Amino acid sequence: MSSIVIWTIVVISVLGLILAAVLYLVAERFKVEEDPRIDEVEKTMPGANCGGCGYAGCHAFAVAAVQNGNLDKNYCPVGGNDVMKKVADILGYKVEEKAPMIAVVRCNGTCQFRPKVAEYDGYPSCKVKAATFSGDTLCAQGCLGCGDCVSACQFDAIHMNPETGLPEVDQSKCVACGACVKACPKHIIELRAKGPRGMRMFVSCMNQDKGPAAKKACAAACIGCGICEKTCRFGAITVTNNIAYIDFNKCKLCRECEAMCPTGAIHDVNFPIALDKAAVKARVMERQKKEREAAAAAKAAANESAASAETLSATN
Amino acid sequence: MGGVHPDDKKISRNCKLEALPLPPMVYISVSQHIGAPAKPIVAVGDKVKVGQPIAEPGGFVSAYIHSSVSGTVKSIAPGLDMQGNKQTYIGIQVEGDEWEENIDRSDTLVTDIPDDGKAMLEKVRLAGCVGLGGATFPAHVKFSLAPGKKCECLIINGCECEPYLTSDFRTLLEKGEQVVIGAAIEKQILGVDKCVFGIEDNKPEAIAHIAEVIEKLRKLSPKYEGISVMPLMKKYPEGGEKQLIDAVMHRQVKSGGLPIDVGAVVSNVCTALSVYEAVQKNKPVIDNSVTVTGDCLGEDNQHNFVVRVGTPLSFIIDHAGGVPQTASKAIAGGPMMGRPISNLDAPTVKGTGAILFLTREQTARRPQGNCIRCGRCASACPMGLEPFLLYRLGTHDMLDELEKNAVQDCIGCGCCLYSCPANIPLLDVINQAKAAVMGVMKARRAATKAAQTK
Repeated sequence: MSSIVIWTIVVISVLGLILAAVLYLVAERFKVEEDPRIDEVEKTMPGANCGGCGYAGCHAFAVAAVQNGNLDKNYCPVGGNDVMKKVADILGYKVEEKAPMIAVVRCNGTCQFRPKVAEYDGYPSCKVKAATFSGDTLCAQGCLGCGDCVSACQFDAIHMNPETGLPEVDQSKCVACGACVKACPKHIIELRAKGPRGMRMFVSCMNQDKGPAAKKACAAACIGCGICEKTCRFGAITVTNNIAYIDFNKCKLCRECEAMCPTGAIHDVNFPIALDKAAVKARVMERQKKEREAAAAAKAAANESAASAETLSATN
Repeated sequence: MGGVHPDDKKISRNCKLEALPLPPMVYISVSQHIGAPAKPIVAVGDKVKVGQPIAEPGGFVSAYIHSSVSGTVKSIAPGLDMQGNKQTYIGIQVEGDEWEENIDRSDTLVTDIPDDGKAMLEKVRLAGCVGLGGATFPAHVKFSLAPGKKCECLIINGCECEPYLTSDFRTLLEKGEQVVIGAAIEKQILGVDKCVFGIEDNKPEAIAHIAEVIEKLRKLSPKYEGISVMPLMKKYPEGGEKQLIDAVMHRQVKSGGLPIDVGAVVSNVCTALSVYEAVQKNKPVIDNSVTVTGDCLGEDNQHNFVVRVGTPLSFIIDHAGGVPQTASKAIAGGPMMGRPISNLDAPTVKGTGAILFLTREQTARRPQGNCIRCGRCASACPMGLEPFLLYRLGTHDMLDELEKNAVQDCIGCGCCLYSCPANIPLLDVINQAKAAVMGVMKARRAATKAAQTK
């Protein structure tokens, strides 16, 4: 009995050794030469395989980074500048620091602001809903509320708020991979610069209807009045197709536009002190009044000098 | 192949076509057809008459649009269609009912068909005829055959296989003569000897009536030779273009092909009627028949209205006694393929065939189960697709695989959804996936065309 056990162990062990040797030889013989740096780069990557960089996964990113010879087309939004620095060190390339980004939901149409005019009982997917009709409110550009962005997020960073019916981004978890941006059929989610200490401003509306129609659809819609555009001292705001957009590269976070917005479509995030709308508004009005007066005075002066020049030429 | 047999529910079948009074305002869309939107040729403040062209084609695949009322143009502005999407509408305030002089408004039947096919085709084009079966494909484009193509059989589609709908049936019964003459005109335009009326056998009155009319007209002129009626088995979707060709000619249109590839041209009965009116009466497409039906409307409150194009739906519904208390969903079209209406103030377009009200019990989705690969959807699919597979691919956005599995051939009939024992929303996902794939294919075609011209 014991001899059978011993023989079995011996045979299997020998067989194992022989096969191991064969496997080793085959692996050596048919080895695929790969740049060792690819492996090294991949190890420093976050390993989420989210596709936020535009490549199929972290390995594809590493291959592209090594083969491209520079890092112009490679940026890992999840790892951010730290990871990119490590990658650059490994490969000996240069890398530009980029401002960290975050996903921002540009719709203010909560249940309270945006009354429903129809009821949707179909398949709970924004894509399907968008293909069926314009949406259950009068706003054709607003959030559909079925949560395609939530299911697209691999980082558990975006959730529907049942009270408002809108998705909310968890700032601590969002890595700006852009999956939700692609998933949203209404294109209301945008990647914006996180801003200093997380402070940022954005127009929380995508409604391209003219003022009255937008206002009818949603009480908090951007009506494209252009007040913010005139208020901004840095030329950061442009109104196109009845919708304002704040360029986050130019915005200096003065919050004057927010104070002046008649519908409250402009939002601030993470500011330590709440905005005193009345005070800022009064300040802006005062400034604009002075500017107007100065412009009027300059115009009058110009007219006067022209008139005097005319009289001069007449007397001559 | 495939198909399902839903209860046909034709509760409005005995309701005569009745002309709806004129609404105070009409809003006429400039994109009532497949293809490029028409370009308005009137300005705000202009006086228009019934039948006056108010928009001209915006491309080859496009159609003329005529004023359906007489009055003053009040606005040319964006408005919302039945699904809440923006369209450009020409708003006309109705003042009296003054028609263009050349339109023959009498009821006399004009049975003499001109010989010149080209002139008739031009008349069809100028009258803005489109396929009134629902697809609203411009009729003149369909009837101008590409060089080298030959039509062997003209099929007049009188199936009306969708449950509830009866406007085609009533048109066949009440305007049978006009429809047959219209079919003969289409036959003349296409230069084809054979014309078949495909009518489902749940409409025996229509089959008998059309056969009688054909017999009567054949005695008048040899141009009515070759027209016949073919009773078809009641099955949904027998009225689908490719299904009808299969049923009548036993030929299958291959994936991505057109009916003319197998020598067929299919035209709806209402299209034939509009062709008759265009050629013999100079009357453009300014009205169409709309069924207003639904169990919740009551037995004696079903209607088949003849409605001027651009009449707001709410005006039609008010004439049918308002939205019923128990209705929870309004659908433009039949219960299988119709699209839900989210905006009841939207105006009708040429292709509007029905307004259907369904109750909560009829529309409520039953709880969704898991797919057990029973294959009922695949055997019900009239296009021979595998809906369960397309659903899976669609939920994962696998567009390449979807295209390989011919999602673009889906006609959206809803047989898969109807037959699924697990109530999986197959069609919802497939429709959306089809739209995505068609977008990709269109972009690719444009790219190859651009590369070729380079």
